[in-house]
Order: sequence, then C-alpha cells, then structure tokens
Amino acid sequence: MARVLRPGALGVDVGSVLNLVGALLKYLGVAFLLPAAFAVGYEEPVWPFLAAAGITTGFGLLLERGTQGKERVGPREGFLVVALTWLAVPAFGALPYLFANEPQLARPVDAYFEAMSGFTATGATLLTDIEALDHSLAMWRQFTQWLGGMGIIVLAVAVLPRLRVGGRELFHSELAGPGEVERLTATIRETARRLWVLYVGLTLAAIVALAAYGWTGADPAMGLYEATAHSFSTLAIGGFSTQEESMAAFGAVTQWTIVVFLLLAGINFLRLYLVLVRGQVHAVARDDEFRLYLAFAAAGSALLLAELLAGDLAGGEEAVRDAVFQAVSIMTTAGFASTDYTAWTPLAELTLLVLMFLGASAGSTGGSIKVVRHLLMFRIIRRELEQTVHREVMVPVRLNTAVVEDRALRGVVTFIVLYVGLFALGAVGLLVDARRAAVEVGSFEALGAAAACLGNVGPAFGFAGPFGTYEPFSDLSTGVLTGLMWLGRLEIIPVAVLLTRSYWRA
Amino acid sequence: MKIVVLGAGQVGVTIVEALHDDHDVTVVDLDAARLQALSYRYDVRTVRGNGATRRVLQDAGIAEANLMIACTSRDEINLVAGALVKKLSEAQTIVRTSNPEYLEAWQERQIDVDFMVSSELETAHAVSRTIGVPAAKQTDLFADGAVQIVEFDVPRDVGGHDELTGIPLTEAAERAAERPLTGGYEHVVGLPLREAKVPADSKVASIIRGDRVIVPRGDQSIMPGDRIIIIGSPEAARTWSRIMARGERPVDDVVIFGGGATGLAIARLLVEQKIRVRLVEPREERAREVAEALPDARVYCATGLDPDFIERERIGQARAAVFAMREDAKNLYAATLARVHGIGFTIAIVHEPISIEVFEHAGIDVAVNPRSVTAEEIVRFAHDPRIRQLAMLEGDRFEILDITVRETSKLVRTAFKDLPMTGSLIGAIVRDGAALFPHGNDQLEPGDRAIIFTESRRVAEVEKAL
Repeated sequence: MARVLRPGALGVDVGSVLNLVGALLKYLGVAFLLPAAFAVGYEEPVWPFLAAAGITTGFGLLLERGTQGKERVGPREGFLVVALTWLAVPAFGALPYLFANEPQLARPVDAYFEAMSGFTATGATLLTDIEALDHSLAMWRQFTQWLGGMGIIVLAVAVLPRLRVGGRELFHSELAGPGEVERLTATIRETARRLWVLYVGLTLAAIVALAAYGWTGADPAMGLYEATAHSFSTLAIGGFSTQEESMAAFGAVTQWTIVVFLLLAGINFLRLYLVLVRGQVHAVARDDEFRLYLAFAAAGSALLLAELLAGDLAGGEEAVRDAVFQAVSIMTTAGFASTDYTAWTPLAELTLLVLMFLGASAGSTGGSIKVVRHLLMFRIIRRELEQTVHREVMVPVRLNTAVVEDRALRGVVTFIVLYVGLFALGAVGLLVDARRAAVEVGSFEALGAAAACLGNVGPAFGFAGPFGTYEPFSDLSTGVLTGLMWLGRLEIIPVAVLLTRSYWRA
Repeated sequence: MKIVVLGAGQVGVTIVEALHDDHDVTVVDLDAARLQALSYRYDVRTVRGNGATRRVLQDAGIAEANLMIACTSRDEINLVAGALVKKLSEAQTIVRTSNPEYLEAWQERQIDVDFMVSSELETAHAVSRTIGVPAAKQTDLFADGAVQIVEFDVPRDVGGHDELTGIPLTEAAERAAERPLTGGYEHVVGLPLREAKVPADSKVASIIRGDRVIVPRGDQSIMPGDRIIIIGSPEAARTWSRIMARGERPVDDVVIFGGGATGLAIARLLVEQKIRVRLVEPREERAREVAEALPDARVYCATGLDPDFIERERIGQARAAVFAMREDAKNLYAATLARVHGIGFTIAIVHEPISIEVFEHAGIDVAVNPRSVTAEEIVRFAHDPRIRQLAMLEGDRFEILDITVRETSKLVRTAFKDLPMTGSLIGAIVRDGAALFPHGNDQLEPGDRAIIFTESRRVAEVEKAL
C-alpha cells in the first residue's frame, strides 16, 4: 500500500473528498432537532441531542475548513465520498445513544451497530427491552431509518447548492439499482427533489392513516407518536419498532395498512412518481420489474399460507394476514413481524430466508439483491443457454422493450456473485467467531443473520428473531454484521472498487 | 403536365421512361454523363447541378412546374428540395426516402410533402406479396381501435409478369399464380358486390382501378389488380388479409439474408404478419442493431455463404428465403446454396438491372428490383395524384369523418339502403361503446357515432344532414 499511496502517485483527491464529507456532516446536525423536540414534549433530557448536534456540526465544519474543496467532485471521488459518508453518519448518529446513558447501548460498538442498522434501514437490534427507551431516543432510532431510507446523499443532492454539478455520480452510487437511473427531469437535482417530496408525502399519508385508526378507535394501540414512529420505518423499509412485539402489538387493520405502504415503498420511486403525480399508470402497470415484484410477493405469501394451514399454526383471516404480512415484510426487506415466525415450520422459515434474497425494486427504499437483478439474471441465463445451442444467434436482453447494455448486464452478474459470496463469507465468519467467543449460534441462525444484515432486512432467526435480539453475538460478530449492513446499503460495488489498486492510482 | 425530376439514377430513369411521352420532363443531376445518356434516349430537358439549391431548381423551371419528383439516392437532398419547392412554386412534391423515420413523420403530416416513397418499404411489400401474404398497404384505426381502415392490392393472375410491381415471375411463381383459387377469393373478386361474399362487419369503401376511383355500388365488382380500401372491424380486416392471400397456406417461416435497411424493412413487415423470421447478417455491429430493432425475429451473426451454419441452424427447413445483401453476386451464390440445402422458394433483391436475367436463368424464383418498384409507385402517383391521396386517406379529396348523429337529423331512423348520400359511405356506427357495421335495413339512431368515408366537397353536406 505504501508504494501505491506515494504522494503524487495518488489518483484520488482525498482532500476534496473529506471536504465534501465534512460539508455533508455539517448539515446532519439539523436532524437531531426532531428528537430534541420530542424530548422537550415528553420532558426527557434534551442535552444528548443538542450535544450530538453540536459535535456533528462542529466536526463537519472543522473537516470542511481543514481541507481544500472543489466545486465539482469527480466520479472517482464519488465512491469514496459515499463510502465515508455512510461510515461517518452512523458514527455521529450513535452519539445520542451514548449520551443518553442508555444502559443497553452504553458501549460504542453496540451504539454504532444500532445506528448503522437505523441509517441503512435494516432494523436489526441489540436491544433486549425496546420499550425501556425514552420516547425521544426511540423516535431518533426510527428517524435514522427514515433519513437513510431514501438516502442522505440523494437528499443532499436535492438541497445543497454545492452538489448542483457533479451530484450525478453520488446520486447513482446511493440510489439502488443497476445501470443508469432513469430521470424524471432534466437535472438530477430536480429529480432528487421530487423523489424526496414523494417520500415525504407518502410518509405523511401513512402517518395520517395510522393515526386515524387510533383516533377512531379502530386500533386502540395506535396514537400519533406510534403512527409517526412506524411510518418512518415503513416508508424507509426499515423495520424498527417502538414495541418489543413489533407489529404484533397492533391490530389487524394497522398490519394490513403497513402491508400496503410497504408494497408502495418497494416500488421504484421514479416510476411511482409518474403514477401518483402525473397519473401515468402504465409506468408501473407495464413495468416488467413491478409485475415480477408482485408475483414474488404473491408466491411467497401463498407458500407461507399453505404451510401455516398445513402446520395448523394459524387459521382464517389471521393465517392470510400473517402469511401476506411476513412475506411482504421480509421480501421488501423491512423486517416487521406480525407474529413470531421463529415458531413456524422449517419450510416456512426457509421460505423467509429465500425471500430475504429477493428484495424490492431498484430505486425503492428497500435493500437486498432487488427484483430487477433477478429478472435480468434470468434473462442472461436464458441467453447463455440459447447461445449454447445456436452459436451465432444474437439475443439482446431487454427490460420493458429497451435493450440493456452488456456492461450493465455484467454489473448485474458481478453484483449477484459478490452478494452471495459476501453472504457465505459473513455466515462462515459468524460461526467461526461464535466458536472463538463460545457463543451458541446455530448454522441457520448464522445464515439468517448474515442474510438479514447484508439484505438490510433486520430480524433473522433463532435468538435474533423478530421478537429477539442480536445481543448474544460477540463484539467481533457485531462488527462484522455492521459491515454487512453498510455493504448491503451501498450495494457492495462502490465499496469494492475502493479495494482495487487501480482506484487509487493516477 | 410539367414535371421536374431530381436524380438520374435507376429510379429517375425508370420514371422518365414512363412519363416522357405524355409530359414535359426536366431532369436535374450532378453527373453530366448521366444526363447526356438520358437526353440521347428520351426527349427531356436536362439541368446539371445540385437539386437542393434554389438556383438550380429555378433553372429547371420549378416556378411553372406541376410536379417535382426528388428521387436522388440521398434522403436529405430530396427533403431539402421538397421543402424548397413548397415555397418556390405550386408544384406537387414527391420525395423518395430510405429512412422509415422520415416516412413516419410524413404520415403524421410533420413533413410537408405531398407524397413520400420508401424504396425499402415498397420492396418489403413486393416481397410480402410474392410469398402470398399481401400485407395491408396502409392501415388506420378509428373509434378506439374498434374500426379499422385498410388498403390492399388485389393480386392478379398473369402469365409472365406481375404488372403491378414489375416483378418478373419465373415458372415456379407462375405455377403458384395458376393454382386453383380456394378460400374466399373467388367469392369476393370478380363478382358484383351484392353477390360477393364480403366478410361480415366490413365494407368496401373504395376501389381504385388504374386512373379511376370507383365508389362501389352493388353492381360494381372488385377486379384483380385493383387497389381497394376496406372499412371494418379488426377481425374483418384479418379475414380480408386471408382472402387476399387467396386461401393459400401462407408462407410462415422465412429466412432473410442481409440485415441492411431493406432486409430490416422486409423482416419488420413479415414479423407484423405473424411470420416466423430468421435474419442472417455477417457484420456483428449491424447484427446487434437489427436484433435490437426486431424483438420478434431471430438474428444470427453469420454469413449466408457458410454451408456449416446453414446445416446447423436448419435453414433449409424454412419455406422461403429472401436474399437482401448488397452485392448481387453474393445474393446469387447464397440463394444457390440455400436451394441446395432444400429451400423451395427463393426471392432475391437485385441492384443491377442486368442481374434479373442472370438470376432467372440461375433458377431464382423471383427477383425484385427496389429501384423499379420505387419508380412504379412514384409513377402511379404522378399519373393522378388524387388516387394516392385517397389511398393514403389524407389530402383534400376524401376524408374520414367521425360524427355524432343529432336528434333533429332528418336521417334518423331511415334505413341505410334509403340514405341519399352519394359519394359517401357510412362505414361503421359506434353505438353504446360498441362498433356496428350496418346493413341495408339497419337504421341510424340519435347519439350514434358514424364513421363516414366521404368526398371532401361533401363534408359540409354530410355534417348538415346528420
């Protein structure tokens, strides 16, 4: 490395990268004001949030002052900006957990895990008693998911004048999905704005819908606080809850509403915008990815339902609701639970593990591999088989009648291989470390935890199930899982390029 | 009529040959030698220069001309000339293009010329007709797709030559032409319309025979070689297509060699007719483009001259093969090879006029010359511009009206057979959202939407009556 990093031979403008990261962190301070307001309202300590805000903004300012910035970040610097931002933001976002003297998150490694799980909208928790959290702290935990769900950098592109030029590369490395992102408007900035407006609008709609159940008595467990907290994690497809029993603490009508909003949040937001704002229904209705997305959700629900009925685990409306809720929640990578699915049959659990690898649509707030990549992978395989028999035949791979370039196809294959590789490596790593730290971790639990963190799902199986906690894992394992969440949220490639020598070379 | 022709290539010469006897023709070209050769053979005036410039056009006497035909091999020259002529004179303009995009823009009236001809498309239609799938020349949908208007060329039985396209037929094609007529063809063509078994839910809106436009009455008949316009349901349009195929089992599996503009146009047209199309193109870049443009065809990046490939991909099992490569010699070689491998019907695109004879001797079934096909189409229009305007359902002589019948109309509840409208025809009625194709005893109801095919000068009259 020393040779590669020889001054002058470095091909990446690190100073300019740090400068931009500082500028982004500076604004993160503002985010702490929301939980601070809740703290005031619930007469809980405000200072942890104000202190965190001060430190974050102060650090950001210092970093920005201490480095030389440029008007425009290049595409190469973009990868480093995204990777570092997504490491730094949870670090500062973890400060309130430490300052609030919350005994369950008193150690930095735990607080960092919880914050990473929040910002990456994963929903995996180390807490053993969620309801013991202060209202303000619990709200911060929910709010981190909402900030990270649509993307911190997408938000920055939308509002920061500095990212008016050069924001495109950053935008692409954060907004999930293969290939070039389709644009709604001529400028990426305007597109980012509209995505956020849509995101805010849908969140408000969810808050009103859920809170209305509380007011009308349809679901007595629901209030404005709960409605807000759960709307944040629903639209972000996060999965954190303020309740130990996740969505099982709420009524059937709330659970069905969550299913609807999860399904919406799992659609490509660029297409969703065209439907909801411009009334172009065909943008979604005729989308290959959307159709497969629904088909996956339906197939997963049907399989779970059959297994629930066969295993006599539930009946009637409850069986249907649990099957649909769990299939949608796990597939879209939210991780809410309407029941403790760790008590289900092996087949049902395995179905959920497989669903974790499907994911929602590209350009949605969900994680994992995503439906469009499965679709393209299937078409790539079909093409390979076809060309095995007919050597000369040309088979362009299409998506919604448009031809997908070979480069983008290679990107899909690379991503899936890396994803599965990381999953396997992560699971093996967890078991090796469990042996070392003498923690009892089953193979299915290890596979589940690796898949749930890499896919930003959240709850896994066994002790890390939906009503359980990741707390039994050793610190090293917690670190590995934190890394998997980070890699999963950034879709691996922006991080993987940093490990290549050619990235750093001039 | 005074006619200015831009371009003295094969198309230009064929046009001059057809028009010079009856009209006053001026030919413009950059190549002095070509012009000289032309003026030796025909009594035409020649002007040397770029036809897309004002000076040359004025020299050619565009101000007094009635018709300008821009048929150089370069699209943009033709288009610029067409645009200039619209400003410089009152002449009608015909523009030749090889780009389907331009043709589409013209059909949507975004390019202001009177008639546009695409060599590739005309060639594709000629090929499609030869393999027994007379594709509709032009089709339009009305009333949310419930009513379709289509234009067909009625196939004719002739020995030796298809007069319509100038396609020489060899023995094989002749035999095909002489096959006993089966299916519905003989029940429709050659009989007075009142006796003809016209498919349900459709009407013959117009018959174009040579220079004449016939508004069909019960005693008129459709004759071979006519161009007809049908108005009816999409289902009926498909039935008409089958009738025009004369009940033969249409060729359903075609291999096209050569993915140039012509090959692509042929493939596209055949795919639209639900024919299985395989296309062979040797250049990888082009093969990829063609594959991307044709989702429903199978494209191979290979040469048609490779026996191993032809054997491996079972090319010989196709019912017909079209050779649309750039070089006549290659087409001949590939066609011969394909025949060896068992293809029964071969159609070749020829570029040199002399090749037609060579191909016929070599046993190629049909040779199509894109330039002569194009010239024929242009000459057709030049003889009487109104015919084509009718056929295109554009222009100012005929119109399709979509009128809602008023309560107060005198014609309400009159039987169709008693309606007094001459020169116009109610093709369809949309009543309660469903399309009806009225018969003689049906009556018009208030609130009906009538799809009417009428002469333009009667538009006001028709509107008033309803």
